[in-house]
Amino acid sequence: MTTPSGSIGIFCRIYSVLLYAYPRDFRVQYGNDMRQLFRDRCRDLARVPGTTPMLRFAARLATDWLVTTVRERAAAIWSAGRNLTPRSFVTEWAVTLAIYLFATTTLVQAYVVPTGSMEGTIRVGDHMLVDRLTFAEPGLVGRHILPYREPQRGDIVVFLYPEDIRQTYVKRVIGLPGDRIRLENQQVIRNGSRLVEPYTRHIATYPDPYRDNFPVAPEASTTPRGLDMFEHHVRNGEVIVPPDTLFVLGDNRENSEDSRYWGFVPRSYVIGKPVFVYWSYDAPTSDLQEWTLNHALDVVLHFFSRTRWDRTLSVPR
Amino acid sequence: MPKPQSPQELLPLTPPVFHILLALADEERHGYGIMQDVARQTNDALQLGPGTLYGCLKRMLAAGLVEESEERPDPALDDERRRYYRMTALGKRVVRAEAERLAGAVSAAKTKLAGGNA
Repeated sequence: MTTPSGSIGIFCRIYSVLLYAYPRDFRVQYGNDMRQLFRDRCRDLARVPGTTPMLRFAARLATDWLVTTVRERAAAIWSAGRNLTPRSFVTEWAVTLAIYLFATTTLVQAYVVPTGSMEGTIRVGDHMLVDRLTFAEPGLVGRHILPYREPQRGDIVVFLYPEDIRQTYVKRVIGLPGDRIRLENQQVIRNGSRLVEPYTRHIATYPDPYRDNFPVAPEASTTPRGLDMFEHHVRNGEVIVPPDTLFVLGDNRENSEDSRYWGFVPRSYVIGKPVFVYWSYDAPTSDLQEWTLNHALDVVLHFFSRTRWDRTLSVPR
Repeated sequence: MPKPQSPQELLPLTPPVFHILLALADEERHGYGIMQDVARQTNDALQLGPGTLYGCLKRMLAAGLVEESEERPDPALDDERRRYYRMTALGKRVVRAEAERLAGAVSAAKTKLAGGNA
């Protein structure tokens, strides 16, 4: 977790942007007070241990924002009455719509985990919200108002699968550009030192020299990008992560198709980081990739028994 | 611009408005103070969001139920200046009337439910 005061600053900036969805008069009059109140509440919540109160507050805030922006807009139009020209009417609503779109497409994205490669940390059937902001590539405008940071070692990232960008994967960052990586008896050795990785899960399977001692030589399951990695980025028995890419591994180390097989993740393919699990449903991989009638029926019939209630609102880390 | 109104015309109050008035009954408060007091009054059942709170305050100001007091820092929080609100005489009459109305509703409920052999 980042420091509370640091993340409060970030939340306040996001909230400041969201305030633009309110009509101008209302924002001018109360925007400051609302920001102040928001910050006071965040500070108080930061003193309470655990993330659940914070998430509850966020959920309530989202509802409050959705309902009251519409209400205040309607009130503004009502009170302006006939003085309102069609043009200003359109601009007013266009701004609100733009903010809504910004919130739903830029800030967060929903994502379902279809495979068990992160099992131990993230389970098959976890539905989570992904924060698209933190790792977004700094753009021209957003850079100054929005909080960005680069992915760091140990971060969980959601990204487009380089071999097929229609698929979205979730893994943990092991190597940043310039890092030297190898695996020795299932242990990661980065820049010469052995990593302590309490988040990994090692299952007992038959030994696999490719998977457990990496990188030695390509095998049949190495993809074209993986072959490229072997060809150009291996030196002295170590992978060297090239610029603007990440080397990622699954926490379920022996049952994960990751950078060992398909190479590096380009930085621009990173979507974001998981914020929290809003629903975790016990279902097979194939059902989670696409909604089918059978799956819908399954959810209706088994919603309560197959939902993993203890994972609801949990934070993968 | 408080319009001369009889308290009855404004009833029933919405729960947020009623609890905001109650929060201001004993002392003037700033926005966050109101929010905390409302949560206390209702055992956290009613947690006002910033939009709801200031939307209500705006309408209550217009109706003359509350008025702004001077801006000043809250020593318990920090030295940032905050806008304080206080209840007007009309606000006091309205919240009393609403409390009586609710008391009437509660006693009606009690009679009905006792008669219904709950």
